[in-house]
Amino acid sequence: MTALAKLTHVELKLLVREPGSVFTFLIPLFILIVFGSSIEPGDTVLLPMSLAISVGLVAMYLLPTTLATYRERGILRRLSLTPVRPGSLLAVQLVLQFVLALAAAGLLIAVGGPVLGAHLPSEVPALAAVFLLGTAAMFAVGLLIAALAPNGRSANGVGVLLYFPMAFLAGLMQPTDQMPDILAEVGSYTPLGAFRQSLQDVWTGTSPTPLLLGVMAAYAVIVSLAAARFFRWE
Amino acid sequence: MAIIEVSGLTKGYSGRTVLDGVSFSVEEGEIFGILGPNGAGKTTAVECMEGLRKPDGGTIRVLGLDPAGQSRELHERIGVQLQHTHLPENIKVWEALDLYASFYAEPKDWRGLLDDWGLAELRNARFGKLSGGQKQRLFIALALVGGPEVAFLDELTTGLDPQARRATWELIKKVRASGVTVILVSHFMDEVEELCDRVAVVDRGGVVALDTPAGLIDGVDADHQMRFTLMDGETRDPAALLGDLPGVTGVVRDGKRVTVTGRGDFATAVTSVLARELIPVADLRIDKRTLDDAFVALTGRSFHL
Repeated sequence: MTALAKLTHVELKLLVREPGSVFTFLIPLFILIVFGSSIEPGDTVLLPMSLAISVGLVAMYLLPTTLATYRERGILRRLSLTPVRPGSLLAVQLVLQFVLALAAAGLLIAVGGPVLGAHLPSEVPALAAVFLLGTAAMFAVGLLIAALAPNGRSANGVGVLLYFPMAFLAGLMQPTDQMPDILAEVGSYTPLGAFRQSLQDVWTGTSPTPLLLGVMAAYAVIVSLAAARFFRWE
Repeated sequence: MAIIEVSGLTKGYSGRTVLDGVSFSVEEGEIFGILGPNGAGKTTAVECMEGLRKPDGGTIRVLGLDPAGQSRELHERIGVQLQHTHLPENIKVWEALDLYASFYAEPKDWRGLLDDWGLAELRNARFGKLSGGQKQRLFIALALVGGPEVAFLDELTTGLDPQARRATWELIKKVRASGVTVILVSHFMDEVEELCDRVAVVDRGGVVALDTPAGLIDGVDADHQMRFTLMDGETRDPAALLGDLPGVTGVVRDGKRVTVTGRGDFATAVTSVLARELIPVADLRIDKRTLDDAFVALTGRSFHL
C-alpha cells in the first residue's frame, strides 16, 4: 500500500475512534428528530438547518481541534523527518473531514426525508454546488482557527465560542424572520448564514442567489489563504 | 570514512547565538555522543543535521547530502527519535509501526522490531495507554523502521527505569553492530561512557572537547584518591614510604586508615611499593575518575547546574 493510502486508512480509523466525530453525527440528528416530530409534511426549513449545524460542528470543532492537536503534540514535526511531508497529513485530514460531513448530511437526509416526511429537493446539482461551497467556506474558518490557536485545547475553545454567535446570526437558533432585520441582514453575509440561506433556497425550489454563492466562495478563498499564511508546523 | 561532517556551524534565534562555530565529523559505524548541559545547543546542532532547522552559517554534510536543501533524500536514509514528540492517543502500536514503515522505500519488517524492542505484547495497545518507557521504545523502533544508515537518538533513556535503561543500551549496541551509525544526544554521563565510541562535549555553543570517553577522562589532570586500611601492628609510616612517589601529592593517616591523593597514574606506583615492602592492606579502594570529572575540568562547572 502506498504511504498516502496507508495514512488515509490510519487517519480514518483514528477519526472513527474519536468521540468528537460521533457527536457531530448525533447532535444534528438529535435536533432533527426532536423538532422533526412536529413538522408539517413537506417541511423545507428543518433539513437545511440540520445540515448547516452538522457542517458547522465538523468545521468549527472537529477540524481545528484535530489539526492544532497534531501540531501541539509534535506529530507534524515528527512527520517532517520522514520522506512523507506533513502537508500530506493535512490534506488527508481535510478529505476525511469532508467525507465525514458528507456522511452526516446523507444520514440527516435519509432520516429527515423518508422517516420524518420533510421535503427533499429535486435540484441535485444545485444542492451539491451549495454543499461544496458552504463546506469549503466553513472549513476555511476552521483552518484559520487551527492556524492561529497555540494548542488543541484553545482551538477547541475558540471553535466552540465562535460557533454559537455564528449559528445565531445564521438563523440556526431562531428563524431569521423573527430576528431584527439588521441582524438577519448581517447574518446572511456570514459563511454559515450564506450556507443556510442557500440550502433553504434549494429546498424551496428557487435558485440560490449568485451573491450568496459568491460570499461563500470568497470566504473559502480568502480565509484559507489567511490560514495558509499563518499556519505554523510547530 | 566520515559519514557526517559539520564545519563552522552557527545558529542563533532572534539575536541570541546558540551555536558559534561547531565543527566535528562522525565516522561510519560508530556511536557518536553529543554531551552537554541543557541549553548548550546540542539539540539545535542535531536539528540542523536532520534538516529540521536551517543553519545561519557553516556547512553540514550527512551521507554526502546537504540537510537544508536535500532533506527529502536525507530523510529516506536517516531515522530520528525526537525528545518531545507524541503520536495520536488512539493509534495502536502496530498501526504506528506499519504506517511509518509505509513512508520508506525499503523499510525493515516492523514485526521484527516489535520483538526486538519488547513491544510484541503491546501490539494492539493504544499509544495513550503506554507507560513512558514503552512510548520511548516505540519511538526508537519508529526511528529504525525505515532501515536508516544513520540514527539520531535524542535523550534516549530519559524517563526509563534503571533496568530498562540497561536493556536499551544493549539494544543500541546491537543497532551499531548491524552497521547503523548512531548519533546519541545525552546528558547522562554513564550512558555516554558505556555506549559512545567518541564524544563531542558541547558547552556555550561550541565543541570544547572531542575524544573517546576514556580519552576525555584521562585528559583530566585533577587530583583523585586511593584509600586503604593497614593491618594491626603495622609500624612503618606510609607517608615516608609513599610521599615521594611520582604523582602523589599527599598522604594522610588516620589511625589505621590511609588516604593517598595524587594525579595521573600514581595508584600503580603506590600499589607496587606496598607489594615490595610486603605491607598487607585491606579495603583498598581507588576513586574512579568519571566523565563527570572530565566535564567539570573542561567547562569549569558542574554538569548538573
